[in-house]
Amino acid sequence: MKALFRAELLKQRTTRTMLQLPLWMVGLVVLVVLLHVVGFSVHDLGSRDYQLKVFGWGTGVGSLFAALLGALSITGEIRHGTIRPTFLATPRRERVIAAKVAASAFGGLALGLLAEALAAAVSSAGLAVRGVHVALSGGDFVQLLAGGAVGAALWAAIGTGIGAVVRNQVGAVVGLCVWLLVIETSLIGSVSSVAKFAPGASAGALAGAIQAQGATNLLAPALGALLLVVYASLATAAGSIAITRRDVT
Amino acid sequence: MTDQSHPVVSARGLTKRYRDVLAADGVEFELEPGTITGFLGPNGAGKTTILRMLLGLVQPTVGEALVVGHRYLELEQPARRVGAVLESDDFDPGRSARNHLRALALAIGASRGRVQEMLELVELEASANRLVRTYSLGMRQRLGLAAALLGEPELLLLDEPANGLDPAGVHWLRGFLRRFADQGGTVLIASHVLAEIAQTVDQVVIIDGGRLIATVRLDELADSPHSLEGLYLELTAKASA
Ligand SMILES: Nc1ncnc2c1ncn2[C@@H]1O[C@H](COP(=O)(O)OP(=O)(O)OP(=O)(O)O)[C@@H](O)[C@H]1O
Ligand SMILES: [Mg+2]
Repeated sequence: MKALFRAELLKQRTTRTMLQLPLWMVGLVVLVVLLHVVGFSVHDLGSRDYQLKVFGWGTGVGSLFAALLGALSITGEIRHGTIRPTFLATPRRERVIAAKVAASAFGGLALGLLAEALAAAVSSAGLAVRGVHVALSGGDFVQLLAGGAVGAALWAAIGTGIGAVVRNQVGAVVGLCVWLLVIETSLIGSVSSVAKFAPGASAGALAGAIQAQGATNLLAPALGALLLVVYASLATAAGSIAITRRDVT
Repeated sequence: MTDQSHPVVSARGLTKRYRDVLAADGVEFELEPGTITGFLGPNGAGKTTILRMLLGLVQPTVGEALVVGHRYLELEQPARRVGAVLESDDFDPGRSARNHLRALALAIGASRGRVQEMLELVELEASANRLVRTYSLGMRQRLGLAAALLGEPELLLLDEPANGLDPAGVHWLRGFLRRFADQGGTVLIASHVLAEIAQTVDQVVIIDGGRLIATVRLDELADSPHSLEGLYLELTAKASA
């Protein structure tokens, strides 16, 4: 299993698409955070809730890119046909999925940490430029960074499972983007009492971010973490079952 | 290498139905160790489907496929016993040949030294660090062979491996397969190039419309390159009539 994990890590860092992901992510984090820092009034930006919302974008974007990393790890192999040699080397396909989930979670952890650290740095600098005092405590920062990293790692597992079920690369990538950027953000704005249990909101809860339009509070961090673990396990199981049942032609 | 008394490959009533297509229909054959077998049949006859069933990639609708005495999925280290070339382009275009082989080597427990050896064997060591995107068809075919041989298998299943190889490459492959079989290895090679097959193999298995139509030992044929073509055309014409 350890050898398979290393094989997956090697694949992850030796393909161009995977190497471009962090660059796109960095660009998007900087853009989104700056838009918020510039867009909100100085009065709003001064409140802790608004700041958690701005800083928390690191977790949202980090989770998305971690999910894409996971989805690409399997859909890329299906698209290019490397899934054939991969399954010839390891015909127990659930082991391949497990190794991909582990490797993607590892990469996702790094992406989440990078995204949240960058969001915190850019937000702090932006607030300083606008002359706003940072109202967040050291504990808030720790939770944002740790929660953002762990949330993204779990989202990488979700992405891997979804990729194994969907199989089509464009379909999986578009589906994940639409879910996180469109569906969840609009649900949390309209029916937040239900939407706070969704996987994207759970990652936000874990990081202590506030994602709702009206700054509605999310779940307790521990409950968010638990729910994300459940979602990640379900997606992994569904991916394993789907990929094992289908013929590789 | 393998116990002489057991077949290395046995197809037992292999049947595969894809919706309305019967891609394989009760195919039965066995291959003895140390032999090279040509796998012949018209386009769409079912050769690729049968190779994939032998390798556990496609689940038979009915029947059983055994390689080195087991179902492929039950082999503990399958790539160390069975090597395969299925398509000429199963690579990530953005990854180098060396990294492609290194990832496979990790998964099957082969050493880095073995990766280098295989790159030298297929004469790709000079371009091993280039992305596969930049490779010609023949270079990809060589890389596929290197991947198949990585685990030092005793059985090779090859789906049109000479497609795109230059004459020197084809000559090399023929010699390689002969030496491989002389050392006890077993080869099943699907191909449409009958003249090539006639020079390389000990016997041919011919299928058409998903059914086995003949198994012929080449030493039973007189002037084999020509008579193989005649026999093939005659049998496949009869089968489709
Ligand atoms: N995934 C699939 N879905 C539906 N039909 C399929 C699938 N794969 C193969 N077939 C059908 O099964 C039959 C056998 O195809 P196969 O690829 O095994 O033939 P082949 O002998 O390898 O042909 P060729 O010499 O052209 O490579 C064909 O009719 C083909 O259309
Ligand atoms: Mg074929």
